[in-house]
Amino acid sequence: MTSLLSVQGVTKRFGGLVAVADVTFDIAPGELVGLIGPNGSGKTTLLNIMSGNLSGDEGTIRLDGEPCTGLKPQRLARRGLMRMFQLTRIFPRMNVLDNLLVSGRALGLAADEAKVRANGLLEELQIAHVRHLDAGQLSGGQMKLLEFGCCFMRTPRLALLDEPFAAIHPTMKEIMSRFIRARHAEGQAFVLVSHDMPVIVELCPRSICMNAGRVLSDGKTSDVLTAPAVIDAYLGGAAA
Amino acid sequence: MLSGALAADLAVNGLVTGLFYGLMAIGLALIFGVLRIVNFAHGEFYMVGAYAYTIIAARLGVPLFVALPSAFLFGAALGWVVERTLMRPLYANIGSWGLMRDEYAVIVTFGLSLLLVNLVDKAIGPYAFRAPALVSASRVVVGPALMSGQKVAAAVVTLAALALIALFLRFSYWGRAVRAVSQNRLGASLAGIDATAVSSLVFALAGGLAALAGALLSPIINASPDVGAFPAIKSYVIVVLGGMGSIPGAFVASLLLGLVESFGAVLVSYQYRDTFGLVLLILFLLFRPQGLFGERGREV
Amino acid sequence: MSGDIRLRREFIATSLLLLVLALLPLAMRDVYWLGVLVVSAYFAILASSWNLLAGFTGQFSLAPAAFAMIGAYGAALSAAYYNVPPLIGLLIGTVSAGLIGLVLGRIVMRLRGPYLALTTLSFAEIVRLVASNSINITRGDLGLPLEPWFNDRVIWFYVFLSALTFVICGLYLLLRSQAGLFLEAIRDDEIAAARSGVRIVFWKTAAFAISSAAAGFAGALYAYFASLVTPELGLVQQTGLVVSMTVIGGMGSLIGPVVGAFLVYVTSEWLRDVGGWQLVIFAALVIVFARLFRAGLWGLVITALAPRRKLA
Ligand SMILES: Nc1ncnc2c1ncn2[C@@H]1O[C@H](COP(=O)(O)OP(=O)(O)OP(=O)(O)O)[C@@H](O)[C@H]1O
Ligand SMILES: [Mg+2]
Repeated sequence: MTSLLSVQGVTKRFGGLVAVADVTFDIAPGELVGLIGPNGSGKTTLLNIMSGNLSGDEGTIRLDGEPCTGLKPQRLARRGLMRMFQLTRIFPRMNVLDNLLVSGRALGLAADEAKVRANGLLEELQIAHVRHLDAGQLSGGQMKLLEFGCCFMRTPRLALLDEPFAAIHPTMKEIMSRFIRARHAEGQAFVLVSHDMPVIVELCPRSICMNAGRVLSDGKTSDVLTAPAVIDAYLGGAAA
Repeated sequence: MLSGALAADLAVNGLVTGLFYGLMAIGLALIFGVLRIVNFAHGEFYMVGAYAYTIIAARLGVPLFVALPSAFLFGAALGWVVERTLMRPLYANIGSWGLMRDEYAVIVTFGLSLLLVNLVDKAIGPYAFRAPALVSASRVVVGPALMSGQKVAAAVVTLAALALIALFLRFSYWGRAVRAVSQNRLGASLAGIDATAVSSLVFALAGGLAALAGALLSPIINASPDVGAFPAIKSYVIVVLGGMGSIPGAFVASLLLGLVESFGAVLVSYQYRDTFGLVLLILFLLFRPQGLFGERGREV
Repeated sequence: MSGDIRLRREFIATSLLLLVLALLPLAMRDVYWLGVLVVSAYFAILASSWNLLAGFTGQFSLAPAAFAMIGAYGAALSAAYYNVPPLIGLLIGTVSAGLIGLVLGRIVMRLRGPYLALTTLSFAEIVRLVASNSINITRGDLGLPLEPWFNDRVIWFYVFLSALTFVICGLYLLLRSQAGLFLEAIRDDEIAAARSGVRIVFWKTAAFAISSAAAGFAGALYAYFASLVTPELGLVQQTGLVVSMTVIGGMGSLIGPVVGAFLVYVTSEWLRDVGGWQLVIFAALVIVFARLFRAGLWGLVITALAPRRKLA
């Protein structure tokens, strides 16, 4: 088995609305995959199912070849699936350092090890100067960086990032994309959801485009972005 | 087993009790709808109404048709003051309670309940107050059931009050504003509705209705400092069964709870009759938090 | 400031406070006031255990008094029907409250805010109504009498103080470990905590069980002290007192509930002579503190002592 994560026929309905419709794809170890699609096309819902925050109606998901459909988020996190939410989620009444330590300790690092790692990440993400501030007092962009950091306290098997660049200043965006590129070079696998096409083109060798819950196109990013169906979905509105 | 006559009697009594519950619970549901909090001092509005009515009518000798509305107004004024002084941090994001609004709401309303109970206990006294009767008839035949005249009179006023509230919420500008803010506070504000004023209004209405309930029932259950505890718990059960914040849901659930208790006391256990509603509350919150009719929203 | 240092500072302050209390009988041996201190210590344990749930884990339970009552009945029933000695009775009271807390905590896991408050309030009322209506077992509102363990108030005072010390040390060790980090994370954002790999079910249930067991322990001890157990121990008003003490002292700090419990209870006994307005005053204080001084008295002390910080 060469597949790191395998998604097979995953479907999710909300009442009459099919938010994710029979989605199938594989992610190989070390792959960096862009997940794109118009608003409401089901990207976040798909990530929610992958990370265990939502249970799908049909389909199976395997991580490292082992079935993990319906596992709780905390179980998946411990198996190496880390996830960044579209609407930032941090611990507002704990300080920045403790925010990182939670991930580290919960994922089995010893106290000292977690501290070293956290401080390293704070430096790398350039938020070390606010490490003793309560996370709730950070700016929106700093919160995103912090949540981003939480995903890397222990090197994940796969990081699912839901629009990490939304509403972020270009310099911070640069910090994050440099981080992603560096980790990818070391063999870290990512799924990156973004509406920022230049970043997707720059970072992701492969992309998956969704529309109305379905996978429209999956392959080399340049091919995906030029596929007629994709152009249609983006320019012609999601009327389909 | 149950004879037909007894069943009919239980049904009528249960429905009438349910009406009283409704008067209490609708205010609580309104508050939850608009502010997303449970008012743990709701029973004290009831208590205040019972005292206001008893004192105004019995001590000052004011006629009933003035005393009852006065009790309503008194409760409404109290509700309004409470909202203005204590509820503002819930939506103004004052200080660090912004992150802990649920906790703040529980603590403050809980503290308010303690304050009012003990204040009345010290200022007026711990003993029950006898209230003047609403009507002089002691027994009235209602369909298949025989009921005390007080209860029938109170039920008639309650029905009238509930009808007025329903009309108000349905057709008046402020009624529509209340419903709009319940659905989406931010959206309603953007549409030009004064959400803060709506919160004040809702608290005043809730206080007034609970006070009216206390006044109406005071000839039957005399006013005492802790007289509100019991109706408050009933209204918690009702808002949960009805789906937190739903007004029609609360009304239906009130009648239902009245019936469940009335039949349960005879069919299941008289001794434990007051626990039925509480058990229902827990079961609902665990398995159907959206209540009898509601739907669930999105979390992640 | 890191959570670690804050916690250590609170622990040291609490230890000093307990030490001062331990020296009190040297100066004061009035039976009445020793009794007041005993009851204060009882409330301090309840408030500290409740604070673990409400202040650190974000589970705003309204059942602490009910768990104290469960512990008290555990001790009293086993003494009345099986004649068990006090130490075993204490154990039975503590364990039964802990087990019921474990089950309740597991059941209410998913509930938050007003929903949790309502559920636990209903649970508390159900337990109290059952205790007061099961007359052939509990003698209802008459209460169950117990053989007093011993009568010397000074000994009782030290027993309660040791119990409080034990609970505080236990809480400190718990919060200082990674558990403290996880509980606070759960309080702040459960979904984010799950994403970080925190075992939500385990920690939330554990916190509930530990808190309930501590409340039950206090209740069982109190049962032997008062030699009578009535359903009144589980009244919602008792929970109201516990909440008031915690809020006035400072919720979410180790020392706050202890300060709050002693201050509120001792002053209220003292105010009893001036017409019994104490409960009115405290209820008003709770509202004032909740509205204006969220961090309680302890928070005020910290702000007063802290060096003026530069604006960052
Ligand atoms: N809990 C829910 N209940 C009902 N409908 C939902 C729920 N969650 C998502 N949806 C619906 O599913 C569809 C897909 O939503 P999703 O959030 O996955 O889109 P998305 O691709 O992430 O969009 P965006 O780019 O705007 O973030 C939307 O139409 C949304 O309204
Ligand atoms: Mg999305």
